[in-house]
Amino acid sequence: MLSDNQLLRYSRHIFLPEIDIQGQQALADARVLVLGAGGLGSPALMYLAAAGVGHLVVSDPDVVELSNLQRQIVHRQDSLDQLKADSARRHLLALNPDIEVDALPRALDDDELQQQAAAATVVVVGTDNFSSRHAANRACLSTGTPLVSAAAIAWEAQISTFDPRLADSPCFACLYPDSNEQALNCAETGVVSPLVGMLGSYQALEVIKLITGAGTPLIGRLQLFDARHGEWQTLRLKRNPECPACASFVASDTSRD
Amino acid sequence: MSGQQFPAYLLRAFRVTAMPTVKMTPHLYRFFPQLEGQTVTVPAGSVKEALHAINEQAPGFTDYILDDRGALRRHVNLGINDSIVFDRKTLSDRVPEDGTLYIFQALSGG
Repeated sequence: MLSDNQLLRYSRHIFLPEIDIQGQQALADARVLVLGAGGLGSPALMYLAAAGVGHLVVSDPDVVELSNLQRQIVHRQDSLDQLKADSARRHLLALNPDIEVDALPRALDDDELQQQAAAATVVVVGTDNFSSRHAANRACLSTGTPLVSAAAIAWEAQISTFDPRLADSPCFACLYPDSNEQALNCAETGVVSPLVGMLGSYQALEVIKLITGAGTPLIGRLQLFDARHGEWQTLRLKRNPECPACASFVASDTSRD
Repeated sequence: MSGQQFPAYLLRAFRVTAMPTVKMTPHLYRFFPQLEGQTVTVPAGSVKEALHAINEQAPGFTDYILDDRGALRRHVNLGINDSIVFDRKTLSDRVPEDGTLYIFQALSGG
């Protein structure tokens, strides 16, 4: 039950008929796992905290470096050399003391990732490597947890949402098969700072839509953004029947029938 | 002359064959600067044929996005019009005359 103070704090959500008090209560009851407290994770976490998501779990093994502060806005000058998960927790609680924030200052192994995904309402991934994205995908598939994935490099960005609760939803591996090939990352290529702000905020928006049931999340759609020319492209993505990651879950669903 | 400049009925009336347009991740321009700022068109046909047509304009292009068996590298993806291509091995999907082929890469930056 939301308090009078919370009703005031979240009134601009509650005015929205798609959210209303029930949606705000759903946000308060939700637990969101955010993998990576970097450029994408920073705005995603800040908006989810401000929006009143009741329980945030932040996983990041790294410490804050000077080169992070150009875009990782949840961290401040006085966060330098601190663990990102701890720095993020401190600033999120300063933003909204109404919520709980768990800091996990480590890369989660498969078992812990599985446990955390199972406990989460939604998982957000904004890490800087491909293997952790595939690990998040596997954990979400096996626990039936929606996954909001975004990435940004240089002047380009991508975002999509995968929801294994839906039989026809593709998974991350339907889009990018798991491999040892290196994807582009910003440590080598650079990234324009507001771009991660846009996409991290977009991830938070997807989370709010998934939790409240408002609108249509990006399930089965991949959006590409070219920041240099301000162009968005939407591509439809179907479930790949031969996807090694999610095809087995189709089979197990069928076996239960 | 391209299919994007004239309505399809005019192209049909004058028996002008439209050519698919190719749009690609700007990252590829680092390696193939001759393609930047160009309207890249290819003959209608299979994805494989389209990629080899790009290779004629930018030698080395197929080596960059295809592996040694001619399949799409795993960090590369293709879309035709508004749909992502599934056949990454034989690249048999057809790029229609008035279509757009998108070439993009996996990003992992966050």
